[in-house]
Amino acid sequence: MGAKKKARPKRTGEDLLPGDPSREELIARMIRVDHAGEYGAVRIYEGQLAVLNRKPGPGRYGTMRGTPAVAAIKEMAEQEQRHLDAFDQLLVERRVRPTVLSPIWHAAGYALGAATAMLGERAAMACTVAVEEVIDEHYAAQAERLGDDEAELRAMIEEFRADEGAHRDTAIAHEAEAAPAYPLLTAAVKTGSRLAIWLSTRV
Amino acid sequence: MSQAETDMLDKMRAEILHATLPHIAFDGWTMSAAEAGAADAGYKPGDAVRAFPGGPVEMIVFFSRQADRDTMAEMEKRGAAELKVRERVTLGVRLRLEQNTQHREAIRRALAVLSFPQNAALGAQCLYRTVDAIWYAAGDTATDYNFYTKRGLLAGVYSATLLYWLNDNSEGFADTWSFLDRRIADVMAVPKTLGQIGKRFERMPNPLRVFAPGPRRRRRRKGSAAKP
Repeated sequence: MGAKKKARPKRTGEDLLPGDPSREELIARMIRVDHAGEYGAVRIYEGQLAVLNRKPGPGRYGTMRGTPAVAAIKEMAEQEQRHLDAFDQLLVERRVRPTVLSPIWHAAGYALGAATAMLGERAAMACTVAVEEVIDEHYAAQAERLGDDEAELRAMIEEFRADEGAHRDTAIAHEAEAAPAYPLLTAAVKTGSRLAIWLSTRV
Repeated sequence: MSQAETDMLDKMRAEILHATLPHIAFDGWTMSAAEAGAADAGYKPGDAVRAFPGGPVEMIVFFSRQADRDTMAEMEKRGAAELKVRERVTLGVRLRLEQNTQHREAIRRALAVLSFPQNAALGAQCLYRTVDAIWYAAGDTATDYNFYTKRGLLAGVYSATLLYWLNDNSEGFADTWSFLDRRIADVMAVPKTLGQIGKRFERMPNPLRVFAPGPRRRRRRKGSAAKP
């Protein structure tokens, strides 16, 4: 019997227990929270760029513009925007309602990005490391829950997860770990991100 | 349950519901009405309970969801995509009501059932599903807070129009449709009013500007000074 069980393709939500959200609700929640997450990520990078583009530095116009760190952030921001576009489309296609909290993430994401960037570009990178690490875990858990009936969504999440992992590596390469109070900063950002994920899944 | 069984149950539910609706005016939303309906549709009276184990409330929710689905299908058939957004939404509300012209009494009584405190959440859910269906069929692609403002505004328009329609005795419900047009016009005025309020606030100092770092502020001042 065990062998037979293994041969069967895995179906999303087959391990649900009574009282758990249904399969449809489970997938809707995943798409909702992922959309909120990518939206938050875009806002974080926007906040960082807004500050760094005006901060005095060795780049263009006497600001940080065009320095390797800012160029890297810009590239990551563009990638997050692509992810967000994909989830925007998915949200409409599958008639999933977006999170009610999006105005909060709009402000909170920007504020987090701006605040860390004001601490310096290394702190901004540390923030990226923390956020991307949480998202990486989150996507991994989601991909695990999705069965073969949602192979397309699973592949998309795996692809985005690889991107987020690359962002983390980029941030570490830009001396994130040399940021002031690195362990404290990343722990705080991680806790905040986990709370945001928990909330966006539900409301 | 296999897909075939689910489909069969849904078909049975639809048939029993359809046959029950004429009985509602006399018996209200009760299981005895459903049993009479089941008998009319050629089922055993006990099948009414099998189809709607949750009782009359479940029947009402099924009725509402089916009407939503029919509205969406009909909107697509009528080529709603070629209309302006305003016309699409108007058409959606109109189709949603028009398809049940025969069953106004049943809807009036359903509203009475849904207004019980214990059913308030279900009633709100039905309303949400209805406006969501209309917006979806109208091709809405909002994924931010506009998703909710749009549905909220339409919920107000739809529920007001529904109540007006229930007591409308004009020929072809002409009064209801002009009422609907006026409500939609009210909604269209909302962004305009908001824009005016926004303009007033624009002239006030923005407290957040304190955080804006130097270079850009200086540049802007120079730029505005250069303009004659």
